[in-house]
Amino acid sequence: MRLRRGHEPEKRLAHIWNSANCTACGACVVACTATNYPEMLERVADKGHGGMPSNIRRIEGATAEGKPTLLLNQCQHCDNAPCMRTCPFGAVYKDTNGLIRLDPRMCAGCKYCITSCPYNVRWVHPDNGLPMKCMGNGCLDLIAAGQKPACVQACPANARDFGDINDPGSSVSQTLRTKRNRRLLANSGAEPKYFIVEEA
Amino acid sequence: MASDITFQSEIAHWTWTIAFFLWFIGLGGMTSIAYYWVRKAAVSYAILVSIIVGLLFVVSHLARWWNLPIVVWTMLINLHLNYTSWMFIGVCVLSVHLVMAAILALSHMEFILRRIPFLGFLRHVRGEHIVGNAFCVLFGIVGFVSVIYSGFLLTAAVGVPFWGTALIPVLWVLSGGIAAIALLELLYVFGYVDERVSLFGMKLGLGIDALKLFAIFSLLHVAVTLGSQGARISAEQMIWGDLALMTWGGVIGLGILVPMALSGYMLSAGKNKALIAVSAVSALAGVLLLRAAVLLAGVWEPLA
Repeated sequence: MRLRRGHEPEKRLAHIWNSANCTACGACVVACTATNYPEMLERVADKGHGGMPSNIRRIEGATAEGKPTLLLNQCQHCDNAPCMRTCPFGAVYKDTNGLIRLDPRMCAGCKYCITSCPYNVRWVHPDNGLPMKCMGNGCLDLIAAGQKPACVQACPANARDFGDINDPGSSVSQTLRTKRNRRLLANSGAEPKYFIVEEA
Repeated sequence: MASDITFQSEIAHWTWTIAFFLWFIGLGGMTSIAYYWVRKAAVSYAILVSIIVGLLFVVSHLARWWNLPIVVWTMLINLHLNYTSWMFIGVCVLSVHLVMAAILALSHMEFILRRIPFLGFLRHVRGEHIVGNAFCVLFGIVGFVSVIYSGFLLTAAVGVPFWGTALIPVLWVLSGGIAAIALLELLYVFGYVDERVSLFGMKLGLGIDALKLFAIFSLLHVAVTLGSQGARISAEQMIWGDLALMTWGGVIGLGILVPMALSGYMLSAGKNKALIAVSAVSALAGVLLLRAAVLLAGVWEPLA
């Protein structure tokens, strides 16, 4: 449900990715597409992304010493989401769970949300022109049924988690309290809610 | 490649289509200010065509253009008016600008005003008395706001740090002014405006060209020396990277130095319509290339 202007969300659902536990198997990436966009499993995303369209982007790189690095990037469901501020038609909104969502009826495909996102996580669906990102409808259905999103369920290394960071008893809150973690572009002003845990 | 450094998309999703949109809106907006002094039919038609073509470019960019009527209807019914969005503000401003430009163009179409007598009051709009002057002042202000909007449209897109500077709207206003002068020069070449307009435009253009050059160097200098890593990558692409030829050859050479040299020559040695046309086309091309270069240079901030 759309959060009314000036109201605070009941929950602040957030994703955690444990980079120390991650084995880079890609199961979360495939599970995301299979659950939310099964029609895209055999297709390639728009220019710039390459590979299979997914709401999780696997970014490989190397350190100055040549060691391989991996980053899984996705929508951070920012508390102060720039995409929500800039959407001219109010298609991007925050729901009562603190998730940033898109109302397809209100979207004209201007792509302002894409250029407004500091994390560049959206991709344009070739069939309907919608700017896609986490979460897709499949995962929203899972959450509504009291389950975890597809990426969390598919991870064989327990490197991913999802829950309410307003609830001190949730598994994500406990992890964030006890393990070293960081956020991407933490000073961007967007107040992201995607946490990268750096110890096993 | 920038994408290797930023680990993200190579370029922003706004490229040539948006460059043309920004170019036409800059041209139409700043010419709307000039209309106060040059109240010619050709000028009003050129403004209207610029706005319409600009809007066609931006609508063609929409991935879901066919959904636009439903979006506008739903937005108005539910009052989902996002005042924090520069694009929403821009939609409102451009709508007003388009309607005013259409009224102004219509006021010059005597063949229509004669056939439809109740439209005769539109003649007041183009007249040089209080109604006409007030309309033209308002039209100029709306035109100026359109150009300002087209700059802040980029500034508010925080995903691309290179665009996040108030120098972009300033640059858009200056280059839009150059485009408006170039358009008037072309209209002079084709005999639609007076010679004194051309002469004044030439002198004014020299000054604005110098300011535009200063603003471009400021934009690049600030991005390279004070900007974030993403802004620096963008500026470096323009200075010595993939976009260097477009920047030095197109934006600065073709768009600023050629018109400045030709204007300087003609002011001292006498005017020549062929040279005026070359200078104007060169300036217009430079304004378009400036917008394209700034858009194409846009990269996201590295995440790692």
